[in-house]
Amino acid sequence: MHKRLKIKFLGSEIDSPIVLPAGVMDMSFSSLQDAIINGAGIVTSKSLTVQPRAGHEGPVVAEFEGGMLNAMGLCNPGIDDGLKEIEQFKTNFAAPVIVSIFATNVHDFMQLAKKVDHSSAEFLELNLSCPNVFDEFGIPLAASPQQVFEIIKAVKEMTSKPVIAKLSPNVHAIIPIAESAQKAGADALCLINTVGPGMLIDIRMRKPILKNKFGGMSGPCIKPIALKLIYEVHSKIGLPIIGTGGVQSGEDVIEMWMAGASLVGVGTAVHYNGMNIFTKIKQEIIQFLEDQNYHLLMDVPRLPSQVREK
Amino acid sequence: MIKRLTLKIARIETETKNVKTFHFSHKLEAEPGQFIMVTDYENGEKPFSLSICELDHFAITVKRIGDFTNQLFQKKCGDYLSIRGPYGSSFFVSKKKVLLVGGGCAVPTLYFLSKRLLSNNADVTLINGAKTKDELIFVDKFHSLFIQEYFVTDDGSFGEKATSVQKAEEILKTDNFSFVYASGPELMLFALKDKLKKINYEFLLERYMKCAIGVCGSCTIDPLGIRMCVEGPVLNREKIEKLTEFGHYHRDASGKRIGF
Repeated sequence: MHKRLKIKFLGSEIDSPIVLPAGVMDMSFSSLQDAIINGAGIVTSKSLTVQPRAGHEGPVVAEFEGGMLNAMGLCNPGIDDGLKEIEQFKTNFAAPVIVSIFATNVHDFMQLAKKVDHSSAEFLELNLSCPNVFDEFGIPLAASPQQVFEIIKAVKEMTSKPVIAKLSPNVHAIIPIAESAQKAGADALCLINTVGPGMLIDIRMRKPILKNKFGGMSGPCIKPIALKLIYEVHSKIGLPIIGTGGVQSGEDVIEMWMAGASLVGVGTAVHYNGMNIFTKIKQEIIQFLEDQNYHLLMDVPRLPSQVREK
Repeated sequence: MIKRLTLKIARIETETKNVKTFHFSHKLEAEPGQFIMVTDYENGEKPFSLSICELDHFAITVKRIGDFTNQLFQKKCGDYLSIRGPYGSSFFVSKKKVLLVGGGCAVPTLYFLSKRLLSNNADVTLINGAKTKDELIFVDKFHSLFIQEYFVTDDGSFGEKATSVQKAEEILKTDNFSFVYASGPELMLFALKDKLKKINYEFLLERYMKCAIGVCGSCTIDPLGIRMCVEGPVLNREKIEKLTEFGHYHRDASGKRIGF
């Protein structure tokens, strides 16, 4: 089973295309290990910051018919303790790790990247697009091609590890931003972060349900947006893509693959189905490969690209 | 499934100087050991185990320990609270002779459990322990169940001068129980674990919870990585014996490890 789902990604061979994305079940080394035991191929740390962050007060999540909103507020134990969890993970498990980092300026990103460079993690992901800290930090960095360029350029000088830029869907045009990331030397992109942000209201108490009022939207309702952006970026930018957004089944993974994703993140579905969702998804991918007479996942053709405009 | 309810507080009962029970008139399908998340949308959101769960109403019993509970103590009957749940694992409901060991403000959840055990014809013995007489909770409520009860206080101001763990050790030597349930401070549970070499048990553990729906990872426990909001808060002997974190540390809101 494992062989058929092997993926080559940035020079590493990965057992399963399923990624545990940043922010999901990744506070402790043990939950990262649990994700691997349950079938994930790569795990991502919480977005680590220079100093520890307690995150927003609750409610930090709110469910609705199509998915959920979250405003965790980047809770994390800080880069030093966060990397200790990664090292402890690595003492028992060989699976590759992505360390996600978040900062609001080039200097802090460089400082964080340097620490990740000294760690056992394989990849570095830049969270340029958290939508839940607007009050504190303003418009996400991923909204500006210039800022994306400067940060990635600076980070690349601090580390020899492949750098993945996690972009926001909440922009007018994603292509100029993805191009900036590529020009600055990004090795891969992660698409998409949560959508919106959105809000929900308790009509009896006349209050927003989230304490932060607004929260990033995830779950099945955002999958079409993710597919569209992945397809568009894959068509025009040659970088490998980690696709995330509303994936719940093996067939969703195939859709992401066809749109252009090399690896696929599964986050909110962990809430609906628990950690063994990864095993279920892998079985469903195999089932699709059987039904459609493909030997490997990598044999499944992508959709034809949009005509390159340049 | 979306499990959010906006409910008026139906009744507030004062248990001790720092403990109140908040009642809600609503049918909640819950099992003993499960918890709900409670918020007023102003002061954060916190998990509380159910202390009472009947056909047409349920309740939580809250100790005043910080900002959130201070604000909760200002609420009056008729005020709205937003509630989601029930969440998490529940106690196995035995039919046999069982011992319940409770400490401090974690005792009330054993009242909900006792009622389920009794309706399942189990033979129930309870140790209700606290630091001092004024902190013993649910004395009258347990009394009305006509179960075998032992009260212990650290200072001997009510019942026997002993800890819950000392009393449990003594009772287990003289009487034959088939199962032990416990809810209390972690160090009490940790000490109790050592006295339960030959008997099966379930403990209710607490960890810092944020999402309560098994996605954020804040409440995972080492080295199993299981979520205390989904696979917990009630864990059985098999799981507890594997925990390296139990009795030693927990993680705070940021995920930093804090020793006990």
